[in-house]
Amino acid sequence: MKDAKSRYRLGVDVGGTHTDLVLLDTMSGELLVEKVSSTPSNPALGVLNGVAKFVARGIPADAIEFFAHGTTITTNALLEMRGAKVGVLITKGYRAVQEIQAQARDGNLFDYFYSKPTPIVPQSLTREIPERSDYLGNVLLPLDRDAVRNAARQLHEAGAESIAVCYLFSFMNPEHEEETRRIIQAEIPGAQVSISSEVLPRIREWARLSTTLLNAYLEPVLVRYIDHLNKGLDEVGVGTQQRFLMQSNGGVMPFSAAIAGGRTVHTLLSGPAAGAQASAYLNEKEATSGLVTLDMGGTSADIAFIEGGMPLEVTEGVIARRQIDVPALDMTTISAGGGSLAWIDGAGFLTVGPQSAGAAPGPACYGRGGTRPAVTDADVVCGYLNPNYFLGGSQTLDVEASRNAIKTEIADKLGISVLEAAAGVRRIVDMRMADEVRVFAAKRGVDLSTFTLLPFGGAGAVHAAAVAEELGMKRLLVPPRPGAFSALGLLCTDVVHDYIRSELRPLADVSPEHADEIFRVLEKKASEELVAEGMKVEDAMFSRELDLRYTGQGYELRTPLDGLFNGRLDAKAMVAARDRFDERHAQIHGHAAKERSVEVVSYRLRLRVAVPKYVPTLGVAPAKPRAVAEAIKGTRTIYFDGRTPVESNVYERDGLDIGIVLNGPAVIEQFDATTIVPPTWSARVDHYHNLILERGNA
Amino acid sequence: MDAITIQILRNKIASLVDEMHYHFYRSGYSTIIRESRDFSCVILDKDGRLIVSPPMFFHAPVYRHLVGRILELYGKDGIKPGDVFVSNHPYEGGLPHVSDMAFVAPIFADGKIVAFSGTIAHKADVGGTVPGSTSANATEMFHEGVLIPPIKIWDEGRFLPDVERLIVANSRQPVLVRGDMGAQIAVTQTGAKRVTELCERFGSNVVTEAFAAILKGAADELKSAIAALPEGEYSAEGLLDNDGVDVERSIRLAVTITVKNGLATFDFSKSDPQARGPVNLRPSMVEACVFYSLIGCLGPRFHFNDGMRDAVRIVVAPRTIVNAEAPAPVSNYQMVNLKLVDVILEALARFHPERAIAGSGASSALSISWLRPRPGQSNMQYEILGSAYGGGMGHDGCSATAAHLSNLHITPIEILESEYPVRINRFEMVPDTGGAGKWRGGLSFQREYELLEDATVIRRFDKTRFPPSGLEEGKDGARARWLVHVGTKDEMETKGSARFEMKAGARFVLQSAAGGGYGAPDKRDPAALARDVAEGYVTAAGAAHYQKS
Repeated sequence: MKDAKSRYRLGVDVGGTHTDLVLLDTMSGELLVEKVSSTPSNPALGVLNGVAKFVARGIPADAIEFFAHGTTITTNALLEMRGAKVGVLITKGYRAVQEIQAQARDGNLFDYFYSKPTPIVPQSLTREIPERSDYLGNVLLPLDRDAVRNAARQLHEAGAESIAVCYLFSFMNPEHEEETRRIIQAEIPGAQVSISSEVLPRIREWARLSTTLLNAYLEPVLVRYIDHLNKGLDEVGVGTQQRFLMQSNGGVMPFSAAIAGGRTVHTLLSGPAAGAQASAYLNEKEATSGLVTLDMGGTSADIAFIEGGMPLEVTEGVIARRQIDVPALDMTTISAGGGSLAWIDGAGFLTVGPQSAGAAPGPACYGRGGTRPAVTDADVVCGYLNPNYFLGGSQTLDVEASRNAIKTEIADKLGISVLEAAAGVRRIVDMRMADEVRVFAAKRGVDLSTFTLLPFGGAGAVHAAAVAEELGMKRLLVPPRPGAFSALGLLCTDVVHDYIRSELRPLADVSPEHADEIFRVLEKKASEELVAEGMKVEDAMFSRELDLRYTGQGYELRTPLDGLFNGRLDAKAMVAARDRFDERHAQIHGHAAKERSVEVVSYRLRLRVAVPKYVPTLGVAPAKPRAVAEAIKGTRTIYFDGRTPVESNVYERDGLDIGIVLNGPAVIEQFDATTIVPPTWSARVDHYHNLILERGNA
Repeated sequence: MDAITIQILRNKIASLVDEMHYHFYRSGYSTIIRESRDFSCVILDKDGRLIVSPPMFFHAPVYRHLVGRILELYGKDGIKPGDVFVSNHPYEGGLPHVSDMAFVAPIFADGKIVAFSGTIAHKADVGGTVPGSTSANATEMFHEGVLIPPIKIWDEGRFLPDVERLIVANSRQPVLVRGDMGAQIAVTQTGAKRVTELCERFGSNVVTEAFAAILKGAADELKSAIAALPEGEYSAEGLLDNDGVDVERSIRLAVTITVKNGLATFDFSKSDPQARGPVNLRPSMVEACVFYSLIGCLGPRFHFNDGMRDAVRIVVAPRTIVNAEAPAPVSNYQMVNLKLVDVILEALARFHPERAIAGSGASSALSISWLRPRPGQSNMQYEILGSAYGGGMGHDGCSATAAHLSNLHITPIEILESEYPVRINRFEMVPDTGGAGKWRGGLSFQREYELLEDATVIRRFDKTRFPPSGLEEGKDGARARWLVHVGTKDEMETKGSARFEMKAGARFVLQSAAGGGYGAPDKRDPAALARDVAEGYVTAAGAAHYQKS
């Protein structure tokens, strides 16, 4: 039993427009939710405002024992190019690496007026250092220490606030980079230095340099913010020992780890991670057969898969056109949100997105001057949304404005009715989401037929049933508070740190002892860092993985070694790893080549420390549940096909008791979301207050 | 057919092409698939007309020729469900060169062909006189590798291993080629299966009608863009360094564009006769250059498909460089494509000056065949290196990138050195190489290689005699160069594409061509020039060339 001193756990998720807070009372199991405006110019302020709201409700700040935070501060700083002034040290003779990057162009391949993104570090802040190692890590040219010293001094004088170091083959031999950091820090006390062998000790020089530059560029922003937030939380009297920050790998890291440096890049893709993590954790039972999460907000929809209770992951990513190769939950994002604009393209076809109406002017129905129709306008015209109950009635929607926008921009141009046009917009956006899920599933070797679709975000449950129908999925799960789901996810995560070491070599040439030694070195480093962060090694769980590929392939597959060895790696485990790689290759790419030789590219270690998490309480069905008919608060006409008016019952979600079952067509409304139950679907409330939608009437 | 269903099917085909592409690049064996992604996957209508363009655009016009020939050879009755055709034949199948191998699978609904699924991918080696097959000095297509006219490799659902064995037996890289072929066939069949599912769901008539509407939509869009151009006739021409065989003789590429009554005609008749060396183009490549240039100039957001053929007339005279007769060799087509794009864009700029762009560099191919490869590794190192764009109206040219039709990834230095006995000693930008102009051309880069073992080295490249040209008083970009025997008394610069036997310890230096400048150099914004000097793109001495003389 918790004592009153450490009774509460707080999750705070900062989004572009709103900051969501979820406070868990560990004594009662009750969740309290707050929503405040985000404060982009000083993001800590919004967080503190939210905390103040709880205090005003009588929650003693010093009874908050746990604080987990999801923030897009680094992502926004990158998108708006508000990072630090960075200088970089590279191996002498290789200035073209940062110019050529991947060589291939991104974006529209027909646009010969092509530009690369503005460099994080221009050539004028790049210094070449005589040094060189070969592919085995042997030093070909010793480090020129004087050159490092001069470079550090020059860059400091030029105003560099943060310094990146990326030498060729430093992932095989980090000594030159480590020595470089020591010299810089001696020369410029307090300098923030990001070295590539620490940020991403992985083969491929451009990906490593790019990731290291992003770390150097954003680290001062993150450190400053955390410092600010820490002080603010201390002032309010929040008494937590440890405060945690969400990472893109679905885990959290303590604030102290973020401040220690080298991990800033792990926050860059963390925005959508908490929601996927929450889906995996809260619905583990469902996830054994697989979940597809669909987080549909204002401008985009994020999609992730969860199999066996774990979200899938990737190790290569791009953000704002920049390469960042750190482990992240495997998500795909498409421009399909409530604000995505519908328009007729040059060839005369109806198209939705990628442009968005954003928050201002917003969809036409917001009445803020928008005249172009967005997906939300189509939702309103077809009757899916209640114009008088948007955000619990705090905003009314102008249906006429929606109709006019769709008429002028679409219906008149195609010679069809406004309703048909609105239904067409919905069909296109729903099918695009479904197609995206399908391609993504094919890419990852996922079989969707037994999966459940889990929608959240403001618009997710409005569109989810149509997406599920398109995919042939039979089941939806709508969590109790779809709008605050990401914040809740922050109370459902462990501390997760990833370590990697690249060494390209035929698997047959790697002795079990050699592999074991590499993992042990990684474990030692991980343990030391863990202790420095104030946690205990006894609480840590390590898992090992090999990045393997067939000789000659250019991309590797993560191959977990879990269950293949006891204590030390042995020859049997190495053979089993090879078999597991063949299996995974066949699963993901449709074929394996058991006769081909395999190479190890990298060794990966994941450290996990369990953090106390939110445990959803099993609700009890009331002895005398209210009848379905009693929960109906009215009816509304919905045009599912754009022609036929269908009278649909409208329910208030809070009025639906556990165990209740209702048939579509129906609309279930709540403060932060609307759930549509199409005519041939039914809905029920489970013991966790989830809404379960299933095909077929009950 | 309603506009919404059409759009839904277009999105579905686009996502299917994406799915095929992704599967292939993750499952291919060779670095050319996996790192360079030198391949395309497509869906075609029943006549072989392409519906949605693949990322590797210049393959797009090939399929029409290939499927056209398959239909001619086999007739509709000779093509059965479960067939897969293979071909790499430049003349029979319209393939760019012999190294590019295509697979095509028919798609049936209600007993009729309704569509085709197709893929083209570069193979590591298909035989011929040199390792890697793409010879810089072949004089017949028979020198360029084994020739496969369109034939079946799957017959009514049955794989024909004899055909595979015959192909693989002709390759110096049998394991890689077989692995890539297997992955490619699987992807082609996946495409066919998915379209079959669409036909079952939407009805094959709906799918067929939607394809027709998508083709017509693209045609209409391009027609109206052409109709908006001023009527007139403009010509441009340019010179290719040589054909790789007769290194002293340059080759002229010429176009006359006429816009009249809403139709654009591209006449290449004044181009030189076909060459002895492997720089001849198949008409499919000329079409790729025309459509790439038109879309880039008039509307980069247009979506290419074969419907656009209705908006344009292309004239290629027989036995010229742009329409050679067999058995003229073609393996070096890519650098010819890039030169042809420069020429077409120069003429197009007269109709639409807002999108004018000076001459750009061309990608070059480097292949190193190692006598003693690293244990367990391939002996064949193959790289495609990019160049730079010319400056254009209102825009500096981009440096160090794949230009125009080429868009391949570079192989990282750390991967090269780990897999092959090679060292890249330097990889640097070369200041003052970008053509001076109000809008500067992109810069050259230089790369020094050191061989740690004996090897045969071939580099195929252009723009060393005739550098990318400047436009509207802009200066030319620097020419491409290749220095061999570096650091010895025999150090020399080659006259162009060449092949050398080199010993361990040998060094050579590649330099890419730079983009031409656009507009008079003295009109360049002084702040932009100062930035170029600060960044080291222009030296203090080089900055003097921007002053009024």
